Amino acid sequence: MTRVQETHDDLTGRVLVAVINSHRDFEIARDQGWYRIPCERAPSRVGADYLAFYQTKLFEEDRWAINYYAPIRRYRVLPRLNLLPHETEHPRAGAPYYKIEIGALRPLPRSIPSRRLRRVTFIPTTLEHLFTAEEINDLWCGTADEEKLWRVFKEKGVSAERCYPLKEDDYEHTVDFALPCRHGMAGVCIEGEPKVENVRIVRERPLIDEYEASALGWTMLGVQSPEIAGSSPACLEAILQLVSGLGGIAPAE
Amino acid sequence: MRLGFPVKVLGQPGLRSHDSRRWQNRPHLSVSLAYLRDTILYLERQDIRMYRMASDLAPYVVHPGLPEFHSQIEDCYTELAVVGEMATDCDLRLSFHLPLTSVLNALDETVAQQSAQLATAQARILEAMGLGPEAVIVTHVGGLYGDRDAALARFTQSHERLPPLVRRRLVLENDDKRFSVSDITWVHERTGIPLVFDYLHFKNFNPQELCMIEALERCLRSWPPGITPKIHFSSPRTAMRIIERRAPQSGSRESIMRAPRTLQHSDFVDPFQFADFLRECERFAPRGFDVMIEAKAKDLALLHLRQHMARIDTTWDCRVGN
Repeated sequence: MTRVQETHDDLTGRVLVAVINSHRDFEIARDQGWYRIPCERAPSRVGADYLAFYQTKLFEEDRWAINYYAPIRRYRVLPRLNLLPHETEHPRAGAPYYKIEIGALRPLPRSIPSRRLRRVTFIPTTLEHLFTAEEINDLWCGTADEEKLWRVFKEKGVSAERCYPLKEDDYEHTVDFALPCRHGMAGVCIEGEPKVENVRIVRERPLIDEYEASALGWTMLGVQSPEIAGSSPACLEAILQLVSGLGGIAPAE
Repeated sequence: MRLGFPVKVLGQPGLRSHDSRRWQNRPHLSVSLAYLRDTILYLERQDIRMYRMASDLAPYVVHPGLPEFHSQIEDCYTELAVVGEMATDCDLRLSFHLPLTSVLNALDETVAQQSAQLATAQARILEAMGLGPEAVIVTHVGGLYGDRDAALARFTQSHERLPPLVRRRLVLENDDKRFSVSDITWVHERTGIPLVFDYLHFKNFNPQELCMIEALERCLRSWPPGITPKIHFSSPRTAMRIIERRAPQSGSRESIMRAPRTLQHSDFVDPFQFADFLRECERFAPRGFDVMIEAKAKDLALLHLRQHMARIDTTWDCRVGN
């Protein structure tokens, strides 16, 4: 055993899921061992022990799924031109970027697909979630209420999407659960302060403006923490009625 | 007055204080700085203006057996400057606290030297971040070794030998069973080191029976003009402790109940106790100060305290500059 032999992966290790949407960027990650994020557009969570890659539709059989991850070795802050010296004319050539240096790509035990081929930006998660997720919605680490409702949806076969943007590319305003229905989008948001058993989490997500949501074609339902408690949450019937009123869940693409 | 908390963020799952991977997995200061950047963004959103960074922000940076980790600070000058600028822009006061394993007055010269090396590394990090003199490194006197006078003298000698960049930032805190406010005042008079008043430690260990305001005043006056002093505040634990252990006879796991000890920090701060303390300070303390809240619930304790202070203390908004 060499001195720098790595220990086994720590399942509590933090993972940042990032998007790879070009073959060039995938080759850079695989062959040169780095990934870049413009500092100005970086998500609120950049720090992680591992980087995992959500591959977009360009990647044929690997598309719309997370297939690889790698340990993070180092972060650097560099102008884009230092990373891609041939792109002198790029409008952000001088802008600072995080260069995230990584070890060799490792295939996941099983790929993590997006059932609805949704757009994804960055997902902070853990290695344990990455190894056990059946689909990308299993990756989010939410409050106890969110996790409970997500488990209930899965048990009841309700096809929901977690942390879903109210409108495309607006990741500042997300609903806790989106239910894509035949006649529009239904959104479920958990309201109120986290309950006592969940004191470890400060809920930061901005409240969704219902008028704005309606204008964007959403029908919103707010549920309170007590409505989620118990083995058969009281809010479930209201959620199912909402879905039914919108023509039922739309089939995945 | 700024309120702060130490190291671990509990309010957001997965927000780590530093790269805690073992050396075999090649942790790096730059990864810690990425975590720190995320933490600073969280603190800004919560309007928290003081934070103590993890003492092992640069993992293994002075470990004698792992020289491959020793150049991390030079390797990260750019990233340190970027994160430091973020903190400055957010008016965030950052600090370090030497770990209890760092003993500047140790009888064992190797331990004393390693402690000095860690203090130097922390000072270099603060310098590289471009932080002003309010970014300090807190330490205790260290070991008693059965001779208080000799222990205090050894600390002053050790302090003299530290590089100027460390001496500029090192501050000394009273502890809860060895070195009281009177003891650290003795050190201050010989070295000029600023003193951090720790409320709970003072209540637990005050053999000279100083009155609280006198002790606080001594500490506050020890800081140079133009640098806001900082103090530590916490309430003693009063709740029953449940301890998991293996039964001595059967070896099976069991939970036992233990009464709390007054040395222990409580999960949250008693807001009435804090309000009384501030009222007393307002009447008698010579100058303002920042408060590091040392409670087990970390940032949640700070947010909880702030919420309750706004309710029970009519002058609270003025105190925190709202």
